[in-house]
Amino acid sequence: MSAALLFDILVTGLITGGIYALVALGLNLQYGLMRVLNVAHGEFVMLGAYATYSLHTDWGANPLLTLLVTGPAAFTAGLVIHRLLYARVLAQAEAREALESRSLLLSFGLLFVLQNAALLIWSADLKGYSYLGTPLRVLGAVFPANRVLAAVVALGLSVGFYVYLQRSLTGKAIRALMDEPEGARLVGVNLTRLHGVCFGLGVAMAAVTGSLISMLFELTPFIGLPYTVTALVVVILGGLGNVVGSLLGALLLGVVETAGVYLVSSDIRLISSYAVLSLILILKPSGIFGR
Amino acid sequence: MHMPRREFLKTTGAGVAAAAALRGRAWAQAKPIRIGYTLSATGPYSVGAGITQAPGYALWADLVNAKGGLAVKGAGRRPIEYVAIDDRSEIETAVRFYEKLMGDDKVDLILPPWGTAMNFAVAPIANKYGYPMIGPTVSSNKLKELSFPYFYAILQQPDACMGAFTGYLKDLKAQGKVSKVGVAYVNDLFGIEMHSSLTATLKNTGLELVDTKSYPLGVKDLSPVLKGFKSAGVDVFLGLTYPPDNILAASQAKEVDFNPAVYMAAVGTAFPFYRDRFKGAEGVSGIAGWNPRMKYPGAREYYEAHVKKHQKEPDRWASAFAYASLQIMERCVGEVGLDRKRIKEMIDATEFQTVAGPIKFVKGVNVTTPGMVGQWQKGEFEIVWPKSIATATAVVPKPAWA
Repeated sequence: MSAALLFDILVTGLITGGIYALVALGLNLQYGLMRVLNVAHGEFVMLGAYATYSLHTDWGANPLLTLLVTGPAAFTAGLVIHRLLYARVLAQAEAREALESRSLLLSFGLLFVLQNAALLIWSADLKGYSYLGTPLRVLGAVFPANRVLAAVVALGLSVGFYVYLQRSLTGKAIRALMDEPEGARLVGVNLTRLHGVCFGLGVAMAAVTGSLISMLFELTPFIGLPYTVTALVVVILGGLGNVVGSLLGALLLGVVETAGVYLVSSDIRLISSYAVLSLILILKPSGIFGR
Repeated sequence: MHMPRREFLKTTGAGVAAAAALRGRAWAQAKPIRIGYTLSATGPYSVGAGITQAPGYALWADLVNAKGGLAVKGAGRRPIEYVAIDDRSEIETAVRFYEKLMGDDKVDLILPPWGTAMNFAVAPIANKYGYPMIGPTVSSNKLKELSFPYFYAILQQPDACMGAFTGYLKDLKAQGKVSKVGVAYVNDLFGIEMHSSLTATLKNTGLELVDTKSYPLGVKDLSPVLKGFKSAGVDVFLGLTYPPDNILAASQAKEVDFNPAVYMAAVGTAFPFYRDRFKGAEGVSGIAGWNPRMKYPGAREYYEAHVKKHQKEPDRWASAFAYASLQIMERCVGEVGLDRKRIKEMIDATEFQTVAGPIKFVKGVNVTTPGMVGQWQKGEFEIVWPKSIATATAVVPKPAWA
């Protein structure tokens, strides 16, 4: 294998992985921290993508700048959804298992509501636009400029979030809750409030991912589910509640998938990603970076 | 009570007119013709169904009902009443509903669902109950092997489509314009069949097949495939694609700076949406079947009525055939009534003149319409092959991506 091909695979893999990282981080915040298995996660990706599409095509907004709108709007929506729906379930659930199954059912309902709402607003027709659809040449290899941009922004946000967790008080409280839920409450961490913030952040990350991918793919109201599945694979790969794990897991998955596509065929993408997942579940069920 | 004569005449005149209209309507509405079908309004098939079939069904019912209904031999005009649901792109939902339509509800006629797989699933049921069904969005060589006498395929089949592709390429090769072919196909029934038809017809053209790559439905990145073709010096890209990946392939071709002399893609290229998405998509070619410039009776009127009703254009492949299948039903019912066996016999024996040209079925397959290659040129998907029905000359090499 030539160095040029290796370089191409590596960069393309990191581009794919960078986008996976952001969407997976969002899910990890919800599932890893609260055991809320939000299968509607991908629908927020879809809504974020449509929001950017509409802002760009109807208002002429720069797709990248729409992140400043979709992010905060999604965060607020997440807070409201958490307050109206999940907080009640959280309060009523006696055990973790009950919480998981109830939140799963709840988010299934949410998935259908959001999908059909999008269908009413944007119809089932394919929607898309071109943004930065130009070649970017790096060391003799060619990459789509918009994908590189999307991956760089996604990775930047992921790393930024990691720093936020390390440095800020809220971040520390979130980590405390991940490490030791009981202990965190003993020292005065407000569980319900923090859960709301985490849920909102998770939704915001999904929506921002959506804004980024709207530059790359055609949109329909049904594009969300594959992102939920990929995010779930990454979360399991990197370990529940493990932020660094999600980041590295996503990049690893991106590179493995791309290597399969380059060296064998595009058909092998799903097979290779599930092979990695199965291996991890057999060898180290807590995830590569899990404890 | 005193009423001026003029006022009286006006009132009674209106009353009589209204009564006449009401009587006419009551008479007509006493026995509407019930036509059953499912189309995908949600799920992955909804994109294609919403472009190719649903607008035609709605337009036809509107136009026919505006004339007072569908003319039934010996029974005057009867309004069309659709009995339809959204099959959610689920084959089992469609199968159950068609079973109910024909077995329990005993509707007068049925129309087909959207897509090859759906039609394959419903055709045996239509055949069992003896309902003629003309599928406008079915393309499969396997149809010949199946024997469903009540099922008709009006669209060009893979052998015809790919025969046109290779005929076109052979001509270009003879002119010294192209030589190396790269093929990417979607790994499902459609792509696999198109691919096998293609490789069979490509053999004797003198073109070199440099590389063939398959990819899964819903693929997210085709840049590895396109980069490979580019570095192999491919000057003919053949994408046996479906709509979402078709758009992805064109976007990424531009993004990795791949602009072969001939860029052809299958399903989706003929959608007006595709042209708008790629700023005219100048020079991109693909499977074609129809455009409003063709000189068939009613073609232009159909196009204008479609745009007027739906504020969007019909696509340049199957939309007109979907409408043509309704015209065929209309003519049969007008000439033989609602006896479905006699409708079938008439479909078997007749050459129909439709907005999509003359159509004649032999063993359930339309044998009149040839495979065609279309190319986007200044906003219209011009037919560039076969030359006998071409509406424009091909532009090769294709201009740079806009």
